[in-house]
Amino acid sequence: MAVITIDGLTKRFGDVIAVDGLSFEVDQGMVTGFLGPNGAGKTTTLRMLLGLVTPTAGTARIQGRPYRELAAPLRHVGAVLESSSFHPGRTARNHLRVVSIAAGLPRARADEVLAQVGLDQAADRRVGGFSLGMRQRLALATALLGDPEVLVLDEPANGLDPEGIHWLRGFLRHLADQGRTVLVSSHVLAEVAQTVDQVVIIAHGRLVTQSTLAALSARTEQAVRVRTPDAEALRPLLVAEGIQADLAGPDQIVAIGTTTETVGQAAAAAGIVIYEMGAERSNLEEVFLELTGPQGGTS
Amino acid sequence: MTRLVRAELVKLRTIRLFYGVAAAMVAFGVLTVAANVTAAGRQGNAPLAAHSLPGLVAAPATMLSGAALLLGILGMTGEFRHHTITQTFLTTPDRGRVVAAKLAAYALAGIVVAVLTLAVTTVVATSWMNAKGVSVSVLDGGLGRVLGGTLLAAGLCGLVGVGVGALVRNQVAALVGVLVWAVVIEGLLLSLLNAPSLGKWLPSAAAAALTNPSDGHLSRWAGGLLFAAYGLAFSVVGTRFVIRRDVT
Repeated sequence: MAVITIDGLTKRFGDVIAVDGLSFEVDQGMVTGFLGPNGAGKTTTLRMLLGLVTPTAGTARIQGRPYRELAAPLRHVGAVLESSSFHPGRTARNHLRVVSIAAGLPRARADEVLAQVGLDQAADRRVGGFSLGMRQRLALATALLGDPEVLVLDEPANGLDPEGIHWLRGFLRHLADQGRTVLVSSHVLAEVAQTVDQVVIIAHGRLVTQSTLAALSARTEQAVRVRTPDAEALRPLLVAEGIQADLAGPDQIVAIGTTTETVGQAAAAAGIVIYEMGAERSNLEEVFLELTGPQGGTS
Repeated sequence: MTRLVRAELVKLRTIRLFYGVAAAMVAFGVLTVAANVTAAGRQGNAPLAAHSLPGLVAAPATMLSGAALLLGILGMTGEFRHHTITQTFLTTPDRGRVVAAKLAAYALAGIVVAVLTLAVTTVVATSWMNAKGVSVSVLDGGLGRVLGGTLLAAGLCGLVGVGVGALVRNQVAALVGVLVWAVVIEGLLLSLLNAPSLGKWLPSAAAAALTNPSDGHLSRWAGGLLFAAYGLAFSVVGTRFVIRRDVT
């Protein structure tokens, strides 16, 4: 069942179209990576989903309803949007208390979520003195206050150190294992690749592809890197066999979508000396870059 | 709605601003009483008499209105400045209710600061005058009216502050705007219109009718009603802006 439904969502800021007819769905219990380069429209999409920004056209629904029509939104949806949205002079516990009171949540929740994100020692410190990692944890704690079944996280790893990113991955996995539906945005695929079940990739406000991580991995390509003194001579031979071959240096060729056997035989037939040859596999990040790059969106 | 007002009051209580403003106002109140008592009877000032009590007690009235206005503006614009408005609207997507809760909370905050200050100035003024042999009592007529007017003005100023903050959003612009309006623009309008009788209908003159009743001002009631109408107008327009604008 679709928990999050984005349908024809469009947002125009003056002359700029930030989000352009975007549609996708997120099913219950799925961890979805919402990916795209900076400025692709991820934040605007998530803010429309959460009722903070009014769409120019289209709809964004959570459990079948616009966010603004949810009776007790924090009990259904937890959101982390930016790490700096705290009053610097208020303590972590008081910040959570304010939100609990406004949302009608039990008083004890503040301490529970602080313990959950490992901030219990800092509960009575002012947020102004928090590191970025601590703010991010507090933002997550705030999102968890209402024990929601849906979590919407906008670039939660931004600005975290490697240790923080490691912690965040484990935490997201933990939340997913509890059966929560998670939509997490990022501009770096590697950040979420270990955590997500599926990806929704956008660029220039439009959907590029929605697929499972496995399907995305299948798009990675086999490449062969060859070092030879006759690179100029070998390249046209490979191209003649229908192989995409590019010069990667004066004595190097990268041939895509082929095998070392094919390249070796072509070279032997022409009497070309090979110093070195190896198979490489392009990684997910390259697929992502290709999809979202200037020529992207051709899938 | 009660829980939203409660949340707003907890917001206010959990940062230092409110305590700072309250302490500053109490200190300022004691200072004005001390200055007025000391100056009485010298250099042409009227000597202390039983009827000088209301004037002494309410000397910080205008400052109290200013403090309430400040709290209201900071309370509303602070949400935008620190981006806490995002969480506030995530928690309560009905933005009209958020602003309504703030209006109630900051009207109350203005009144609380005024009550604290006036309680202290009343005690200081009566005991000081009694010590100087001028017999006064807090039950004297006139005192109640002055206290009531000052409290009402402070409450309404808290409300106006929230309305202005909702309209302007930028903290510095809102604070400077209000100051420039009260100090420069109202005076300028008066001379441009060349009709002194219109002056009493302007916002800060209407507020002053509550705190400093004098011939040039409206009556206490008319001034109070007019200022409440200004407060309501700001709040309604401000709320409409807050509801329609994107939170990015």
